[in-house]
Amino acid sequence: MSTDLPANAFCLQGVSKTFSYFRLEGLNLSLPQGQIMGLVGPNGAGKSTTIRLLMGLVAADAGAIEALGFRIPDQVEQAKRAIAFVSDDMRLFSNATLDWHMRFVASIYPQWDELYARQLLKRFNLRAEQTVTKLSRGEHVKALLLLALARRPALLVLDEPTSGLDPVARHELLAELMEIVRDERRSILFSSHNTQDVERICDQIAFIDRGRLVDSRDKESFLERWRRISVDVPTGVVLPRLADVVDVSLGERVAVLTTDNYLPQTQALLEQSGGRVRDVQRMSLEEIFVACVMRSREREPS
Amino acid sequence: MSSSVFWALVRKDLYLQRGIMIVTVLTCLLAVVLTSLGKVGLAVGGVLFLTADIASGIFIAMYSLMAERKGLSHLFALSLPISGFRYDLSKLVSGYLAYGIPWLVLTSIAASLFLLPGQDRGMIVYVLLLQMFALALFSVMLAVLFAVKSELMSAAVIVVVNICFSLFVVDLNLPQNAQPMHGPTLVWTRFAVTGLCVDAAVMALTLIFALALLSRRRDHF
Repeated sequence: MSTDLPANAFCLQGVSKTFSYFRLEGLNLSLPQGQIMGLVGPNGAGKSTTIRLLMGLVAADAGAIEALGFRIPDQVEQAKRAIAFVSDDMRLFSNATLDWHMRFVASIYPQWDELYARQLLKRFNLRAEQTVTKLSRGEHVKALLLLALARRPALLVLDEPTSGLDPVARHELLAELMEIVRDERRSILFSSHNTQDVERICDQIAFIDRGRLVDSRDKESFLERWRRISVDVPTGVVLPRLADVVDVSLGERVAVLTTDNYLPQTQALLEQSGGRVRDVQRMSLEEIFVACVMRSREREPS
Repeated sequence: MSSSVFWALVRKDLYLQRGIMIVTVLTCLLAVVLTSLGKVGLAVGGVLFLTADIASGIFIAMYSLMAERKGLSHLFALSLPISGFRYDLSKLVSGYLAYGIPWLVLTSIAASLFLLPGQDRGMIVYVLLLQMFALALFSVMLAVLFAVKSELMSAAVIVVVNICFSLFVVDLNLPQNAQPMHGPTLVWTRFAVTGLCVDAAVMALTLIFALALLSRRRDHF
């Protein structure tokens, strides 16, 4: 990757956008160069809006957006020279073949890598002479990825690329994507409501819900900080209120605490109060995501 | 580079719409041949010519804008290094070219037929009036389809365009309007001059409307 790229692949600062029935509020998000970010959120959370703002497809009402050092939307044409974008609802031109699309994209991007495109064609098991209308959903996504990757972009933006794919096609696609990103230093923004996909390929994770950024940090930090602690609570014992506990489920004599900042002292504090820590479990990204979203919704003014 | 992307998108549209353009020209050529086969041939050929003329405009406007919007392939086009405004502009240019190229061929052929010996040269004015009206209607249709996104509204526009064309053909064939054109010389009646001026004004206004609309559009998806 060239050395003259800015430190961040993209940066959104205080970005807001209002539609009739949806509002994206004060979004701050950035991705260091060479990293893969998973943008996770339920349907309608604002993932696609965030990506469309980044791609200059919609204009922000407030805030500043930069992609590869270019202001969006003013310098979107320059920025898109080095950005490739694939979304689940994107379609190719129906009456043309994949080969025609490859030649079309190659005529626009001087950095088009024909050899790499042919390799991907083989790896994705696609036929260049096939008309787009004859492609299956999975093949269509692969064709879009081929056209995006062979441009050799500095930033790859993928909006729910695995949505609507059957499990086999999804697995196949992610495996290919992981192989592709493993041998190249390229920044990727990957949006999905499927946390398993994100956990597999991303370094950075941003949770978004109801138009707000709920949390954003590197994946390891998420997985290291979040814990579910089961505590036996004898009669008469009251557990202390811990600052980092985001949820408490109380059973008859057992409490399950969810914390977003687990420290060895946490366990000691609980035991000092008379509780007996039975189990400390790591949480999956999906569990962390749900806990994050629930906490954010509880804090939301009604 | 953005200029090359712009023209690449225009070329892409012309390539993808080449079928409609070729079929339009071939149908109209067939219609011209039919008009030479007596009164029935004249009637059938005339109807075929007018139908192909107006239908190609509808197909091109629909294919160029609605199909790409509905099929979401415009999202792919917008992923290329081009701004939303210039993408829309490329659709406008390619729409005019896709309709304009066959239109020019057909207008030239139809008009030149009346230059043949024994034909009423005055009918060239008739051809021009008819073709300019069709071009103005296409311009209106293209501009309105840029403005509206609902399919119902788009269908309504197409119906109105059809009605307008039919009414114009009736008006054009009224004896007081058509009679002066059945002669060996070109006669520029008040009706003909007004008609051509109105067509030109409508085209200019719809173009201004479309450009103003596109330049104000902030969201392209």
